Amino acid sequence: MIALAVLGAAFVLLPVAGLLARAPWERTGELLTSDVALEGARVSLIVSLGAAALSLLVGVPLGLLLGRTSFPGRTVVRALALLPLVLPPVVAGIGLLTAFGRRGLLGGPARAIGLELPFTTAGAAVAAAFVSFPFIVLAVEAGLRSLDTRLEDAAASLGASKWYVLRKVTLPLLAPQIAAGAVLAWARALGEFGATITFAGNFRGETQTMPLAVFEALQSDPGAATILSLVLVVLSLGVLIALRGRFVGVGS
Amino acid sequence: MKVRAAFLVAAMLSANACGSDEPAAPDSITVFAAASLTEAFTQIAADFEGQDGTKVRLSFGPSDGLATQIQEGAPADVFASASPKWMDAVAEDPGVVDRSDFARNLLIVITPADNPAGVDSVDDLGRPGIKLVLAAEGVPVGDYARELLGNAGIADEALANVVSNEDDVKGVVQKVALGEADAGIVYRTDVTTAVAGDLGVIDVPDSDNVVAVYPIAALAGAPGPARGFVTYVLGPGQTVLRDAGFLPP
Repeated sequence: MIALAVLGAAFVLLPVAGLLARAPWERTGELLTSDVALEGARVSLIVSLGAAALSLLVGVPLGLLLGRTSFPGRTVVRALALLPLVLPPVVAGIGLLTAFGRRGLLGGPARAIGLELPFTTAGAAVAAAFVSFPFIVLAVEAGLRSLDTRLEDAAASLGASKWYVLRKVTLPLLAPQIAAGAVLAWARALGEFGATITFAGNFRGETQTMPLAVFEALQSDPGAATILSLVLVVLSLGVLIALRGRFVGVGS
Repeated sequence: MKVRAAFLVAAMLSANACGSDEPAAPDSITVFAAASLTEAFTQIAADFEGQDGTKVRLSFGPSDGLATQIQEGAPADVFASASPKWMDAVAEDPGVVDRSDFARNLLIVITPADNPAGVDSVDDLGRPGIKLVLAAEGVPVGDYARELLGNAGIADEALANVVSNEDDVKGVVQKVALGEADAGIVYRTDVTTAVAGDLGVIDVPDSDNVVAVYPIAALAGAPGPARGFVTYVLGPGQTVLRDAGFLPP
């Protein structure tokens, strides 16, 4: 048992160790201050935060709907809401192109109001939001299950309207779960690659996020790719440590 | 549980034992080839398999990426590059044999079939507002395209119009064929029957064009059939390459 657990830990540790062993440390300073890294970090920050915001905007209402109401086809809607979690991101990217691309279903109307998504930072954020909003839906649903409904009943019995109960009781009670979901969604958005490169393309300073920069560097300068990769490792690890297992409910 | 594990181990051991009885000659080789060779090499590999009996496993990608993978120890037996630069890299480490140039290629400008931006010449690529897609720098066709724009004297204007640097030449074709970009620069061999209907083609004047030279080689230490494949590409394979629009070496 313990041997297998050690194996499990090593499974994650070894690739990180490999990156550490291979990284050209003498080039760290130069690489971290290079245009690729700085622009990549900037675009990644904007894209991932934008994606988290978008995810909250659509994920919270959907989570509430699925967790609190029952309607015909709820199972199907629930499956659809979680689809981006299992879909290969490149498929998500093609789907987004066929929906919001220049020739997509909504491409015409979107352009008419001046909204162009392919090859724009906004498009990269939409791609990242698409794959990360299920985390919010899941978090809200899980939160609702463990919620003490008597608190809401009490508010309602004192004459609070449904909307008032939602705003003043339900959502504040769900805040920790929503926050944890948002951080996970943000982390997922930070690592997004396939949907982004398919839907938004790859242009430095515009749509080239850190993962895209790593991929491009890997083609011709693997050393630079390892350093950029380690930046992402440190960032992701930081998020998870900050979360302290909240998502799986084993906070320590 | 234990019984099942033991059975599995026994099965694996016996499978190994069977394998060791067979002759040492490999029944398959792995060919790493530039993305622009996708259609031609798929055909050549099928022909070679029919003749030689050796199975050919193909891996297509940007030449720079393939070179890196080979240097990282990817199990390639043959490397076909869209640029001497990346063959040079592989020749230095881990080393190649039987290297020779097997084809040349030229660049063209492609637009979506309906040409929404009205791109009619190379010079139009420098017009403000054109959405131009190129392959990334380091990818042979990306470097060639930048050279072409320089030859045409519109490098600054055209590069300001670039909205995406694609991972390989097929990425450029896709973005244009889907109609997301107004124009792209690819090899003329990339306008295959599969995408020809979605694309408009603008020829590049000879004075601006760049000739891409394709070298092929077997990796040092590769089995015999790998060298056989190289010979095949230089021989019977030439017809397929010519049909696909490649120029003789």
